[in-house]
Amino acid sequence: MDLGSILYLGVTFGLFVIFAWIVIKTYSRKNRDRNEEAKYRMLDDD
Amino acid sequence: MDTPQYNTDIVRSFILWSVIWGLVAIVVGLVVSVQMTNPELNFPPYFTFGRLRPLHTNAGIYGWAVGVIFATFYYIVQRLCKVRIWSDKLATFQLWFFNATIIAAAISLLLGFNTSKEYHELEWPVDIMVVVLWVAFAINIIMTIIKRQEEQMYISLWYMMAAIIGVAILYLVNAAEVPVSLFKSYSIYAGTNDANVQWWFGHNAVAMVLTAPPLAMFYYFLPKTTGVPIYSHKISIISFWSLIFMYLWTGTHHLLWTPVPDWIQTLAMAFSLMLIAPSWGSVINGYLSMKGQWHQMRDNYLVKFLIIGITFYGLQTLQGPMQAIRSFSAFIHYTDWVPAHIHMGTMGWVSMIAFASIYYLVPRIYGKELYSIQLANLHFWLILIGQLIWSISLWIAGVLQAGMWNAMNPDGSLTYTFMETMVEMYPYWWARTIGGVIFLAGVLVFVFNLIKTIRGGESLVSSAVPVEGRA
Ligand code: HEM
Ligand code: HEM
Repeated sequence: MDLGSILYLGVTFGLFVIFAWIVIKTYSRKNRDRNEEAKYRMLDDD
Repeated sequence: MDTPQYNTDIVRSFILWSVIWGLVAIVVGLVVSVQMTNPELNFPPYFTFGRLRPLHTNAGIYGWAVGVIFATFYYIVQRLCKVRIWSDKLATFQLWFFNATIIAAAISLLLGFNTSKEYHELEWPVDIMVVVLWVAFAINIIMTIIKRQEEQMYISLWYMMAAIIGVAILYLVNAAEVPVSLFKSYSIYAGTNDANVQWWFGHNAVAMVLTAPPLAMFYYFLPKTTGVPIYSHKISIISFWSLIFMYLWTGTHHLLWTPVPDWIQTLAMAFSLMLIAPSWGSVINGYLSMKGQWHQMRDNYLVKFLIIGITFYGLQTLQGPMQAIRSFSAFIHYTDWVPAHIHMGTMGWVSMIAFASIYYLVPRIYGKELYSIQLANLHFWLILIGQLIWSISLWIAGVLQAGMWNAMNPDGSLTYTFMETMVEMYPYWWARTIGGVIFLAGVLVFVFNLIKTIRGGESLVSSAVPVEGRA
């Protein structure tokens, strides 16, 4: 593997870590209910 | 909330122009379809298959799909943020610049100016127009989101932002070129790098134009139509981020078996298969949102468009990953199977959602009852049947073609010449044209219904549908 491919895979892995962090944050106990609020509020935006 | 503050004029104008460009795309699609069965209908130099085909794809993607994106995003962003768009003037400028760009694109393509990069055919002066247009749009939408009155961002806004930022990055990177004259440029990338960047652009254009925006519309208009919220906002958020994360690496599935390094092809193949999860996350979220509401499939024509639309998205995102597998790709690549995949996506998924969005918007922004629900139902059936004939006949044609190309005699020579395989395609190409005519008939019914609604439909004042205030 050359430097280019290591970089390519490194960026992929870095993005994966960010993604895992988003999942944990979305499903954290603190945010669990808060994250569902938007779907109710959008119903009365007319 | 005081509704009259929203700018609905811009939504009306974009709807009008998107429908006009959509009609152009479909008519030119029919012309190229007929040109394949009747090559004598090529009229050089301007009206040949080679020049009309990119006109068809550009009008379909950038005129019709992007036109509807402009219309719906301007509508949705104001409501989800509960503020008027940031700048009316910029939006009006964008409307006219959009039309000028599409006209410049059409003329330059007919004159034969073409970078030869699929979906990025426009030469550098028109490229610059596209960039100006998109920057104007991006500034207006992002500034509106920044000054929003709602703290939480509904899922549609995430998809919208991804589309806006994604298209900007893709287009700029793939447009890097060296102009050698007013209408000729060369890509700054060479060889396999050029191909890789082009298909990184190409497939992510599918993600950022033909996937994220219709999902933004679907997530907005489905609950608005049924009156019940989506099943899970959290699932929609996770599907969103995983879709964005995975799409980036899939472009090379267009370049399987080419000199692009093997490991990049394998990565693209793996990520394409993984894409099934976020795609189906949205499909299942949509289906579960219908819990207790399935009767609306019969009672509410809009639900029909939306649910069949998301179903085609589901089928598309199963078929796509299958095509990204090396062995399957070896069989169907270069055959008529691929245009069938594309048209299930563009005519089934994108156009179904676009029609639903327009049906939702027109009565509200014009304050008129839809002229005829029966005609809307007729429209639904005609476009569904037309698209199915189009896709199914070409899937069969693709398998037949692949089978004939692969057939070998015991001595290792090919059983069929290329011309023999072409001759076999004629009945399927005719079937495609018939499917296209039925689809066009459906769209004409839609246009008639809209004109009657706008011109003379009953006022909505006494009906259950709320009227949007004019700007
Ligand atoms: C999980 C999602 C998807 C995957 C993995 C996928 C995969 C693929 C693959 C592998 C090809 C290349 C076929 C070949 O030339 O051999 C292709 C072509 C194409 N797909 Fe999909 N697809 C997906 C979803 C979609 C959707 C939702 C649309 C929306 C309309 C779409 C539109 C297209 C288009 C326009 C092309 C043609 C590109 C060209 O001109 O060569 N795809 N897709
Ligand atoms: C009546 C409806 C339509 C007809 C008859 C039609 C016909 C065609 C034909 C004949 C081709 C060329 C296929 C080939 O080269 O083998 C084509 C390609 C294409 N069309 Fe359409 N089309 C229709 C609707 C649409 C719409 C609404 C869109 C977009 C929103 C669209 C997007 C495309 C794209 C992206 C391609 C390129 C396919 C590829 O690279 O393989 N089409 N169409």
